[in-house]
Amino acid sequence: MTNLPPGLLMIIAAALLPFVPHIVRQIVMLGAIALSAYGLVLGFGTHLVWDVIGFELVLYRADSLSFPFAVIFHIAAALNVIYSWHDKHWSQHCAALSYAGAAIAALHAGDLITLFIWWEATAVTSVFLILAAGTSTARRAAMRYLIFQVLSGVLLLAGAAMFAAKTGSITFGSMTLGDAASWLIFIAFGIKAAFPLLNGWLQDAYPEATVTGTVALSAFTTKLAIYALARGFAGTEYLIWIGAAMTALPVFFAVIENDLRRVLAFSLNNQLGFMVVAVGIGSELALNGAVAHAFVHIIYKALLFMSMGAVLHQVGTIKASELGGLYKTMPFTMICCVIGAMSISAFPLFSGFVAKSLTMTALGDTGIMWAYFVLLFASAGVLEHSGIKIPYFAFFAHDRGFKTTEAPLNMRVAMGIAAFLCVAIGVFPAPLYDILPYAVDYHPYDASHVTGQMQLLIFAMLAFVVLIRMRLYPPEIPSVVLNSDWFYRRLAPQIGRPLLRAVMMVWGSFLCQMQEFAEAFWFVIDKLVRSPAAGPTIPGPAALVQLILLLAVLLIGYVAAIG
Amino acid sequence: MTDRPTKTSSDLQRLGKHFTRFLLGIAIILAILELFLHRHGVAPIEDSFMFPAIFGFLAFMFIVQVGKWLRLMIMRPEDYYEGDASDD
Repeated sequence: MTNLPPGLLMIIAAALLPFVPHIVRQIVMLGAIALSAYGLVLGFGTHLVWDVIGFELVLYRADSLSFPFAVIFHIAAALNVIYSWHDKHWSQHCAALSYAGAAIAALHAGDLITLFIWWEATAVTSVFLILAAGTSTARRAAMRYLIFQVLSGVLLLAGAAMFAAKTGSITFGSMTLGDAASWLIFIAFGIKAAFPLLNGWLQDAYPEATVTGTVALSAFTTKLAIYALARGFAGTEYLIWIGAAMTALPVFFAVIENDLRRVLAFSLNNQLGFMVVAVGIGSELALNGAVAHAFVHIIYKALLFMSMGAVLHQVGTIKASELGGLYKTMPFTMICCVIGAMSISAFPLFSGFVAKSLTMTALGDTGIMWAYFVLLFASAGVLEHSGIKIPYFAFFAHDRGFKTTEAPLNMRVAMGIAAFLCVAIGVFPAPLYDILPYAVDYHPYDASHVTGQMQLLIFAMLAFVVLIRMRLYPPEIPSVVLNSDWFYRRLAPQIGRPLLRAVMMVWGSFLCQMQEFAEAFWFVIDKLVRSPAAGPTIPGPAALVQLILLLAVLLIGYVAAIG
Repeated sequence: MTDRPTKTSSDLQRLGKHFTRFLLGIAIILAILELFLHRHGVAPIEDSFMFPAIFGFLAFMFIVQVGKWLRLMIMRPEDYYEGDASDD
């Protein structure tokens, strides 16, 4: 049983969830996650292979790259079960558990076809977390999300087929960008990793999901893409450019976004940028940085989404322009949010610091200084939107007079565990470093590094204080911030509709002409074939068909005779 | 409005003042430490006096200012996409 691919048990358990009562359901989910995690004890190697029409489908391959992702995916799945414990309906639990299971199974796919299957499974299962919100906005966002996710899968399958045709192999390993197959696979990964201009689905859909759904969504899809990039395209220099753009651009959008869960979605995009840069560098230290960053990011991003979810759950809004002053009524949530904010901002003694510094050091080693300073700049940006804006506008800023209470106990437990992990990893990074793909001889806590980082963060915070005191910080305004989804939500229809109308007019005119021509043609045929042989009652078309059939018979007979 | 929001507002103001003092205290400590610690960076410019502090302060100001300009270009009313059949 242990050689079942990790994650598969979770999918099987998800199928049973509708038939078990509430509390038992939660226990079944935690049990399935624990059993799936137990499957990891098999260790590194190839544990399950199927021969299918001449191809070897490697269903369970574990190595030093998949392992840390598998560990954190299991932790995230368990945290999500606790966070959503209060939800008595089975549907979201079913979607979340099967989604996490599919993502974990994808980590252990040793070939491109198996990867494709689980890749698409994550899309199909996760979309229900957005649909479950039940609003028409969520439904539309879910459909757009699904189109992008499925497109990513289709590109992956096309790339895999071309790769197999060229090399005769479907093994999922390191690839070099060059031929069409590798580009298709690269773009497929890029969609899920939310590359610039391919990122619209993320900020569009994640904030529309349910309170608990967004937490689950934040953990798996994008980090699966980071894993896939690290497996397939480590050391691809384009990724440094792409990743640098990903770190810097969302920072500006996050400043002016009013929906705090959407701010976190922009922030997620920015954090992915750090990981993509690290994958692009491709050195052992950098890949350790990418994996460590993904690991800690899943926890602190989940924590931030959980705290904002708790606010939304208790207050009914997550718009910065409507929030504020909740630190008294939701103190525990506020403390957890601040811990998440300090972790993502990479304060010393918090998890982001011990992970992000690996990537920064690796980038410094390469000598690519422009990218180094872009990432340094983006670090100040992270502090702005996730470190300050999120906790400030939700819990402080202005008193909005909300009379509310703390989030439900299960939410607080999940947030408490995540907050504890953020601090524990920051203070004792050794266990995290031990499970990274390569041996680590790195010590983040040297005086120079700590004081440098503290200077950056503290003086950036002072800049915020100055702006607030001088009333120069832009007030939160109820609004929509245009993102890359604008191209297909607004521009494409605006250009496409008149274009389509024109094409349809030309086509309609063409059809009319053709109809007139056909009528004239049959009129002539009727005239020609209306003879005693054809008979007055046989219409022209029928006579013509008979003529064609007769000719065909003659032709076949002739060919047969000379053959 | 009841008294409670007013009290919370004044508490928020007091909290803001304490927090500012706290930040300034740490900033002063960091500046003093800079005099005694040999801080080294990846690029030579990073070794200059209080470079991360100046970089962080200016970067933050720049981000917020660009955000303000960006509002003029990409900010739309909340119902921008609503009721638009193209969004279906």
